[in-house]
Amino acid sequence: MRTYLAPGVAVASVAVVMAVGVYAVAVIDGIAGRLASGAGRIGVSVMLDPPRTVALLLMQRRHRTERADGPGWAIAPALLGGLAATALAVVPVARGTAVADPSTGFVVFATAIAFVMIAVFLHGWSPNSLFPLIGAYRYGAQALSLQIPFLLAMLATALPAESLAVMDIVEAQGDLWNVVRQPLGLPIYLVVGVGVSFWGPLNLPDGADLVGGTSAEDAGTDRLAWEFARAAMLFAVAAMGAAAFLGGWWGPLLPGPVWMALKTLCLLVVMVATRHLVARVRIEPFVVACWTMFIPLALVNIFVSGALLL
Amino acid sequence: MNGSLVVDVLFWCFAAASVVTGYLVFRTDSMVRAAFWLLASFVGVGAILVLLAAEFLGVVLILMMAGKMLIMAVVMVMFMMNPAGLNPMFMVHQHRFAVAAGVVSFAGLSVVALTVDFPDDPVDPSIDATAELGFELLGDSMLVFQTAGVALLATMVGAIALASRDGRFGVADEGSLEPMLEIEELESP
Repeated sequence: MRTYLAPGVAVASVAVVMAVGVYAVAVIDGIAGRLASGAGRIGVSVMLDPPRTVALLLMQRRHRTERADGPGWAIAPALLGGLAATALAVVPVARGTAVADPSTGFVVFATAIAFVMIAVFLHGWSPNSLFPLIGAYRYGAQALSLQIPFLLAMLATALPAESLAVMDIVEAQGDLWNVVRQPLGLPIYLVVGVGVSFWGPLNLPDGADLVGGTSAEDAGTDRLAWEFARAAMLFAVAAMGAAAFLGGWWGPLLPGPVWMALKTLCLLVVMVATRHLVARVRIEPFVVACWTMFIPLALVNIFVSGALLL
Repeated sequence: MNGSLVVDVLFWCFAAASVVTGYLVFRTDSMVRAAFWLLASFVGVGAILVLLAAEFLGVVLILMMAGKMLIMAVVMVMFMMNPAGLNPMFMVHQHRFAVAAGVVSFAGLSVVALTVDFPDDPVDPSIDATAELGFELLGDSMLVFQTAGVALLATMVGAIALASRDGRFGVADEGSLEPMLEIEELESP
């Protein structure tokens, strides 16, 4: 029988974990930015910067555009945040401890990832403005290309577990983590995962070359909600990566949840730091790389891990 | 979930939402909105499948619809020469035929719903429906699904071969012109 938390407890715990994750993303981003540029001291101010940004955005006035699709504009950040919460909910924290552990946990996560493109497209389309719209179509191309390698890389982790439940996927890594068993999996997952949450070098829909892309018309609470949801999505991708590839709660000495948190943090640092360490990628080479490099590599990964299991 | 009351309430919520959003597909005036309403309608159907303990099928339906609807919205907007999809337009055409087809299919489905004796066979909660489905797909029904899979794969390869720019006979769009944004009057011969 699969475990589920009671609805109230589930919502509360996902909300708390998400808030912590978003704060971690903001702090890591601040530290990585200062280290990479060599400017600014790393002290208490790094910890206080995120609340300062929140306060600033809360006081800012919102933009309105001519004949915008109001409901769509409001729904988009909520949808992205909800998807991040859905994705987080199926990630187990320790053996037998997860908000929800359906037998189709992997598919639920994949669905959340697939709907990110709906959220981003809606967000770019709704303001009825040029740059957001270009960003929306750009993310369409980006997402349709990267989702197949992303999901194939993750699907390979279901093979050793012989189950689509994330709890079983982690359980099957007791003797050997998937990062060792399937060396191709985690690199593909991370590269494409940065693209899923359109962060750093793969922030093509909201990029600076589009004056902010889908969020070009966002100000104040609109921007706050969108940035929050985006960071939450990045955190969810990192958490799932830790569970699916780095053995989740498995590890010596420390208790399971601590290991899970450490591994998630580790992946989060790698993904967040790309924003300051890796150059921007253009959409065309990225799309070509997805179809001609990452999909074949992900298929090789699946075939090899399948053959090893036989 | 405690008891069937919660399930019943959820079922009616999802069912009503699917019908209402399905209706809104035709009442809205924009391609993109229509695609998103249709997506919402399918999500409702997927949720009903999950309630019916066909968890895998329901979630996969929702998963597939996300990609499909976005591709559909993009293709529709591309063909309509309305890059933003924001210009108002009618979503309903051939009114008389549409009304007749709607009435006939509604009557047909109602007859089926009222006359067929549906089996009342609740799933044992201890059964892992996802695993059972996997055994079915790769067991007794393997030939059917593999045939369908290979046919779909061949279709995809064929579609890509047709759509690709580089072919055996050179670049496909050689000598082609960009479509005009204004509608030009055709010259009579």
